Amino acid sequence: MNKDMYNQPTEPWYDDDITDKRVRGAGGASAPPGGGAQRNMSRRKLFGVAAAGVAGAAVLTAGGMAFTSEMQHGTWNPLASSATNVQIGHLLRRAGFGATPQEISSYASLGFSGVVDRLLNYQQVPDDAMESRLKALNLDLNKPQNQQQWWLLRMAWTQRPLLEKMTLFWHGVLTSSYHKVGGKNAYGRMITQNNFLRAHAFDTFDNIMLGITADPAMLVYLDLTRSRKTAPNENYAREMMELFTLGLGHYTQQDVYQGAAALTGWHVVGQTTQSHYLPFDHNDLTKTFLGHTGNLDYKDVINILVNHPATPWFICRKLFTFFTYENPSNEELTPLVDTYVKSGHNMGAVMRTLLLSPQFSSTKAYRSRLKSPTEFVAGAYRALNVQGNGKALPVMTTLMGQTLFDPPNVAGWPGDKVSALWLNSGTWMTRLNYIDLLLSNRNPRNPTYALIDLQGIVNANHIDTPEHFVDYFASFLLDGQISTDRHAQLVAYFNQQESGMVVQRITLTNGKSYPINRVRGTLYLLMATPEYQLN
Amino acid sequence: MKLSRRAMIKDGMLVVSAGMVMPAIFSRGVASAKALSQEGAHFSQAASDHTLIVIQLAGGNDGLNTVVPYTDALYNKMRPTLAIPENKVLTLDSRLGFHPNLAPLKKIWDEGHLAVVEGVGYPNQSLSHFQAMDIWQTLDLNGNGSQGWLGKLVSGMVDKDGHPFKSLDIGVQTAPALTSINAQVPTLINVPSYRIAPDPLDRDGGNVRLSALMKLYNSYPHTAPYAALLDTTALNAQDGSTQLHAADTAYQAAVTYPTGAFGDGLKVLAESIVAGLGLRVGYVTLGGFDTHANEQTVHDQLMQTLADGVSAFYNDLVQHGKADNVVIMTWSEFGRRVEENGSQGTDHGTAAPMFVLGNPVNKGIFGEPPSLSNLDNAGNMKYTTDFRSVYATVLDRWMGAASKDVLGGSFGSQNFLPQS
Repeated sequence: MNKDMYNQPTEPWYDDDITDKRVRGAGGASAPPGGGAQRNMSRRKLFGVAAAGVAGAAVLTAGGMAFTSEMQHGTWNPLASSATNVQIGHLLRRAGFGATPQEISSYASLGFSGVVDRLLNYQQVPDDAMESRLKALNLDLNKPQNQQQWWLLRMAWTQRPLLEKMTLFWHGVLTSSYHKVGGKNAYGRMITQNNFLRAHAFDTFDNIMLGITADPAMLVYLDLTRSRKTAPNENYAREMMELFTLGLGHYTQQDVYQGAAALTGWHVVGQTTQSHYLPFDHNDLTKTFLGHTGNLDYKDVINILVNHPATPWFICRKLFTFFTYENPSNEELTPLVDTYVKSGHNMGAVMRTLLLSPQFSSTKAYRSRLKSPTEFVAGAYRALNVQGNGKALPVMTTLMGQTLFDPPNVAGWPGDKVSALWLNSGTWMTRLNYIDLLLSNRNPRNPTYALIDLQGIVNANHIDTPEHFVDYFASFLLDGQISTDRHAQLVAYFNQQESGMVVQRITLTNGKSYPINRVRGTLYLLMATPEYQLN
Repeated sequence: MKLSRRAMIKDGMLVVSAGMVMPAIFSRGVASAKALSQEGAHFSQAASDHTLIVIQLAGGNDGLNTVVPYTDALYNKMRPTLAIPENKVLTLDSRLGFHPNLAPLKKIWDEGHLAVVEGVGYPNQSLSHFQAMDIWQTLDLNGNGSQGWLGKLVSGMVDKDGHPFKSLDIGVQTAPALTSINAQVPTLINVPSYRIAPDPLDRDGGNVRLSALMKLYNSYPHTAPYAALLDTTALNAQDGSTQLHAADTAYQAAVTYPTGAFGDGLKVLAESIVAGLGLRVGYVTLGGFDTHANEQTVHDQLMQTLADGVSAFYNDLVQHGKADNVVIMTWSEFGRRVEENGSQGTDHGTAAPMFVLGNPVNKGIFGEPPSLSNLDNAGNMKYTTDFRSVYATVLDRWMGAASKDVLGGSFGSQNFLPQS
């Protein structure tokens, strides 16, 4: 077992007997009445067996993958990348945040299922370089702006892209906002929650629900910490059923009351990033929750929910929508639901089924979602290997409609469900302006400063013509998938006469030089295209 | 090269908005512009410069602590820590009074320009924020609606000039209430960020790059993913940003707006009205009303923010001579439980009051008071006034639209606006 990955504030407690066996059962939805050993329990002890679930993402059968090279729109540039690169490009965007040309060729050598393995078995991939780069920035992780910067840079720099993407998925589902986690001195709770979601991203849904229920940020965000034995607060009980597990229509207001009573007992510890379970504050009366009667507690509630027949459909629909395409049919969800049940609710196994499914690699999935603000911002930063500290990134995602650690409400971001909702006139202009910010030097005191060294890229890749320039960037930003007509429009812009004399120029390896604003303007246009807005 | 929405419609394209909640609509992509304008004619209205500003109070505003039934013994009994005492409320009549932080709204009431509609709701509330918000915005009582009521209204206003600012949403995401299949809604949080920044080295101010960009959008195949959405978003942004920045040099706020996103947003709405951008429907959201715990601190602050913002906006319009043209309406997805919970908060409720204000509005209390003694099984009030009767009143008597067409039925009316 890799200890390193658990070196987090939510480090699991290696003590099997604490986690009640009832919670682990993958059997039917019959929860025995409560009454298990009751004692003060720290949050760490909650994760008795979490580790096994994470490491053991078993290899399931590999699904077929069929990307036809004829994509949605017409004629293709003859220099387009191979079908394999399209598949890998798609996989790295959906299961990550895009990639540099070097990364794509290195991943491509593993083959599609090899890449899926590498993404899922992330513990085998060291990420020390990212950790030291982040450490060198000396960010104050008690400040929301720094938290956002820290996470966006993780996405841009990590060698474990699916781990960050999965964490982002969970953040949109099991969500909290720094605006309501206990005030300024408790903002660090958002990082504790983030680290929990990362450490358990591929764990069983049982452990994920146990952990998030006891998560300090969540305890405050949905008021469970204010819930008392004699006065249960119904906020968490309702939202965990409506938004985390079952969906509307599978529970009654009585289940909300009774669930709230059963969930009493967890509290945050002062202003700290710790929480604890206080048995004396647990409501010991007999409750009836979703048809189960007894002195139920939070473990029973979670056990009932993760074994409820509606839950795998609910959570697999969210996963499929986020990673593959919107509005999946029940038939398309069935393999994921089956995996959920057969694997004992292991989310890593479900993700493997998803990534290897024919739907994931279908033309229907290709470019079927708008890039989210996070995908757009971290993706461009990553693919262009931008050399910066990422300080401007948080405001960019905010203006595009997504502030990490601050979802609009407990349902997370609507764009995660319907990606078209990310796009409107204001967010579209921010996307353009972000690209402009990355490419144009806006520092008058340092006229040669650049976040991206275009001349260096031209030299290193022997870019000798405007056509070659467009091909090079289209190959990893658009999988080479741009029609000849639109390719020609970009080349035409590159060649367009500049009205005045521009001193700064880029020299292609054929010796010819071009005004720098035309050169970077061409890349700007490529990343402003409709195609690049899609994921 | 200038591409207006008119050009798009001529081309036979259905202009698709960013906000549709039913993605299937995008795969359809195109539809007949003729059918569209015919539908639009149904609820088109006489030429009018009337504007409606809708303020969403997101999270479920506690109606009982906003418009307080201060003489009701049950109110005081069921809210031992949260009830606002009689000596603190701003009295409207012998039964109701405002939250003490609503003094700026009380002033508008005293001047005769504010109406309260009581007991507003709809049958069979699920107590889900999200279903409730969908119902209020899309009018489908099952919560499966896809087109917003304001979007439907605005889409009926197809005009020859394709005004980009018929509607304007303050925020980073278009409200479902404003979504429609054919109207783009400019969505922004402030004027400075609503522009396409040029490359500082482009001596033409970025015009050549911008036309190359618009050509890339215009030539994006109509059958490609999200074609209509991307196309119309780009057009709307290009048109709108130019107009808004022109307006920005002409407008000067006559009052000081409170700091914060809500005040900033209202200021943008005032600017678009004062500068004559053709605004018919403006939308802004104030969030944070889900007060399950420690309600008093949070709610006091929200009431202050609401009242200060609305009052500044109203006074700005008065001083610019525009107050006779604007009606403001507030709504929230539900009120809160009558009885407070054990966390000094309140859980999800049902019926709640709405505010309608502006110079054209008749002062008064409308609708029926909901009973605090005859509650439903969850301990919530039974609604007395269908929310659609409030919408219908605003549509028929202010916007000059046929409410039956927009709402898909007749739901009565309230007399907070005079019969037109």
